[in-house]
Amino acid sequence: MFLEINQIKKAFGQGESRVEVLRGIDLSLERGEFCVLLGPSGSGKSTLLNIIGGIDSADSGEIVIGGEPMSHMRERQLTMYRRKHLGYIFQMYNLIPNLTVRENIEVGSYLSDKPLDVDELLKLLGLWEHRGKVPSQLSGGQQQRTAIGRAVVKNPDILLCDEPTGALDYKTSKEILKLIEQVNKTYGNTIIMVTHNDAIKYMADTVVRLRDGAIRDTVRNKQRMSAEELEW
Amino acid sequence: MKKNPLNNRFIRDLRNDLGKYVVIALLMIFTIGFVSGFLVADGSMVKAYNESFTKYNIEDGNFRTQKKMNKAQWKSVEGLGLHLYELFYREFALENGSTLRVFQNRDKVNLVCLMEGELPVKPGEIAVDRMYADNNGLKVGDTIRTAATGAEEGAADADTAAAASEQNNDQNAWVITGLVALSDYSTMFSDNNDTMFDALKFGVAVCSPEEFSQYPDSALNYNYAWKYVDPPKTEEEENDRGEDLVKDLSKEVKLENYIPRYANQAIRFTGEDMGSDRAMMELLLYIMMVIIAFVFGVTIGNTISQEAPVIGTLRAMGYTKGELIRHYMAMPLLVTLISAVIGNILGYTFLKDVCANMYYNSYSLPTYITIWNAEAFVKTTIFPIVIMAVVTYSILRWKLGLTPLQFLRRQLRRRQMKRAFPLSVRIPFFDRFRIRVIAQNIPNYLILLVGIFFANILLIFGLALPKALDHYQEEVERSLLAEHQYIMQIPLDALDEDHKLQSALKMMQFVSETETENETAEKFSAYTLRRPFDAPYKSEDVMIYGAAADSRYVKGIPETPEGENPRVLISSAYSEKYDIFAGDTIELQEKYGADRYTFNVAGVYDYGASICVFMEQKTMNQCFDLGKDYFSGYFSQTPITDIDGKYIGSEIDLDSLTKVTRQLYISMGSMMYLVDFFAVAIFMVLIYILSKIIIEKNAQSISMAKILGYTGSEIGKLYIRSTTVVYLLCFVATIPAVTVLIKYLMKIMIRLEMTGWIELYVGNIVYEEMLALGIGAYAVIAVLEYRKIGRVPMDEALKNAE
Repeated sequence: MFLEINQIKKAFGQGESRVEVLRGIDLSLERGEFCVLLGPSGSGKSTLLNIIGGIDSADSGEIVIGGEPMSHMRERQLTMYRRKHLGYIFQMYNLIPNLTVRENIEVGSYLSDKPLDVDELLKLLGLWEHRGKVPSQLSGGQQQRTAIGRAVVKNPDILLCDEPTGALDYKTSKEILKLIEQVNKTYGNTIIMVTHNDAIKYMADTVVRLRDGAIRDTVRNKQRMSAEELEW
Repeated sequence: MKKNPLNNRFIRDLRNDLGKYVVIALLMIFTIGFVSGFLVADGSMVKAYNESFTKYNIEDGNFRTQKKMNKAQWKSVEGLGLHLYELFYREFALENGSTLRVFQNRDKVNLVCLMEGELPVKPGEIAVDRMYADNNGLKVGDTIRTAATGAEEGAADADTAAAASEQNNDQNAWVITGLVALSDYSTMFSDNNDTMFDALKFGVAVCSPEEFSQYPDSALNYNYAWKYVDPPKTEEEENDRGEDLVKDLSKEVKLENYIPRYANQAIRFTGEDMGSDRAMMELLLYIMMVIIAFVFGVTIGNTISQEAPVIGTLRAMGYTKGELIRHYMAMPLLVTLISAVIGNILGYTFLKDVCANMYYNSYSLPTYITIWNAEAFVKTTIFPIVIMAVVTYSILRWKLGLTPLQFLRRQLRRRQMKRAFPLSVRIPFFDRFRIRVIAQNIPNYLILLVGIFFANILLIFGLALPKALDHYQEEVERSLLAEHQYIMQIPLDALDEDHKLQSALKMMQFVSETETENETAEKFSAYTLRRPFDAPYKSEDVMIYGAAADSRYVKGIPETPEGENPRVLISSAYSEKYDIFAGDTIELQEKYGADRYTFNVAGVYDYGASICVFMEQKTMNQCFDLGKDYFSGYFSQTPITDIDGKYIGSEIDLDSLTKVTRQLYISMGSMMYLVDFFAVAIFMVLIYILSKIIIEKNAQSISMAKILGYTGSEIGKLYIRSTTVVYLLCFVATIPAVTVLIKYLMKIMIRLEMTGWIELYVGNIVYEEMLALGIGAYAVIAVLEYRKIGRVPMDEALKNAE
């Protein structure tokens, strides 16, 4: 297995106000697999994603990525882990306002020893005409595409997407999902996407449904539906 | 190596926030430029001064005889291993109230530097000292005249006035052909015993040999300069030879005055005193740089809160903390570097001359050539960059120490507020709102507090310094030992140890002729010791006064029991400068020797004019082997008129003691206004930037309030009035701490760089002025803030809080 998650537990607060957010999560994913984490608000899906991404820590349990355990990593090593293996896409695009589309993507390519070709990526993302614009000149969908480009350009092993369509309308959401699907197929990255949109589960290889910090069920789709076909 | 794409932001950041960067850069350019100019001028002038000894062939010493030396005397004096040069002069009391010492132009020793115009070539022409001309509004082509009557009035001091009056028995008028600097008068000491020079009422000049030959012999002062045939190699050897020479000379001629170069204040003072301002300028630079670095730190902090989600994303992507620290440090360092370069260019060109003029106001220095000053470069370029790097690095390290998730969630406070603190509903709504605004912005207001603290340091310094000089003058006047204080000058031949009988007779004559009928007169002894070198503080002379046990002028002098160290009172100036109090002991040593003396401090005497020690005259004469009847002068309430002027070395009266303040006003006046300017400028810039940040941080809330229907003035009342209250509280709260700190800094600086003591007295008027300036500055900023609130768009609140 490329990614192994074993008995991850996480709680916030103390005493009476203690809330267990993750209560022993186990999950294994193959390289190139597309996984969707589904669940209502407070189910722990974003926390799990953040722990996988090394920007939050588990109280117990272990995550092993490509044979490398994360639990012994210090801050510096975690940063290097993220630099080497991960790409992040958030609901909010968090683009640098005074950099152009192209430069925002280059912010990601700077971190990689073998980045993808920025021009090619710009074309793939449909941003070629907008490459010289700054984020404030772009629509929400274009901004999110730029954020995807920034995450993908370093060709990460795992692409973590936290509600990437949460702030977008139906049409734009579909465009973004198509793009993520295309990235997955073109570059073979493992993708873990957090969403509360039940329809998205059909485009995944593995669907993990979380409730109250525990995995309610894990479904492996025999056949992935294309993003184009999704309706909600 | 790959170029970091984040670097593309720099130029755009600069363009977007041009106002902020320009304001900060201007402040830095002006600060660095001025300090650089000062250090360059200082370094160049010190070099010119040091080189002047060779370039202008400055004497090894001079002496004055009662009568002109004859050929035999000349020969025998030269036989002592000296080259002798005539340096005769005549003094004139001028109609402008000053005294002019006129020499024949020199061509062998103490050469003259022509700074403007031409040297005089015929009778009726004169070249006067450049500084004297500047200070008295004279220029080339002007005519100066001797005073018709009342020559004493306004003369440099009692002695010179008397001498000038005596000699000024004919009317003269000269046309000024040139302005000069006499290499043996870089500082205008009319008398080597004076405590301070007088750049206003005493001047020197040269005339042509034809003009000089018209002066009657009786009016001339027979002064001779000497150079050693075999110059001494060390300062110690120079001192030894100087002390031996006076004995040898007094065998050959009747000496009226004897000043070896090492003791000649007119030559040495400039060199010793130049650079005392340097510490102040450097301190100013460092304070300014810390303030500016701090301002940058604050603006960076603001940028970090605005860009928190971006930072969180970058950190989540794998950017290291170090990379981001370097990124956010780059702009401050770049602006500092650019400012340092421009500042140094200005320093080496325009501002250098401004600073050199400050020296030219105090000292009569020859022309100088600007030299590259590595120290100035390091202090004005490397140090500011290092200060900026250290301050911004520390702030960034702290600010960027949060986790990526905290940045993504905008959880920028290390401790989150659990719940709102309760406020009584009886408090009017607007007041409750303001209290909430203050509570929410406590970190910002803490920043404001620190900023005000720094700005107030400069403000209090700039405002208090001139007042401190006034206060010093008042203190000197109030604590004056006596209305008149005469220092006797023992004829040199009365001290000739090789002709003991002759010198004893001379001494008897001196003693009998220096008795006075003045009933208010009281004898005292005086002796000069120095504080041993106490690194890093400057060594300085300490005057020891010996007064009668029941003195009318120095009250409460302690008696010294047999076999104990002398018990003394120290002046309040001494006590305040070195923190010495009753019960302590002090150790002083001979000015030109190794002997040390220990004194027990019995108390502090209220005397702020100088660093001195008071003890019983009997004990003192015994302590220094001066002889039991020895005395150095008189304290008196009324002028002593029955002692021949030739026995009076100098008179220390209010005028002479406060020469220091007059001189400091002339030499430092422009600098004080400059510090004032810096203080107010930094103050306004700081308040402007900090207020700007507070408004920007609250932009969303302000926008929301607008949407809810609050008017601009209502919002102003909510946000600006909160800031006003906090501002005023911070302003007032920092004043006591700032007062203590600045007094401490000033004390350290004076100990390091200056002899004597001037307390940085901070009177109520200073606080009133501070408040007026502080409130005025804030009022201007408040208007800008109101305008800024008006410009906050309503869609600000509708934006997603990314």
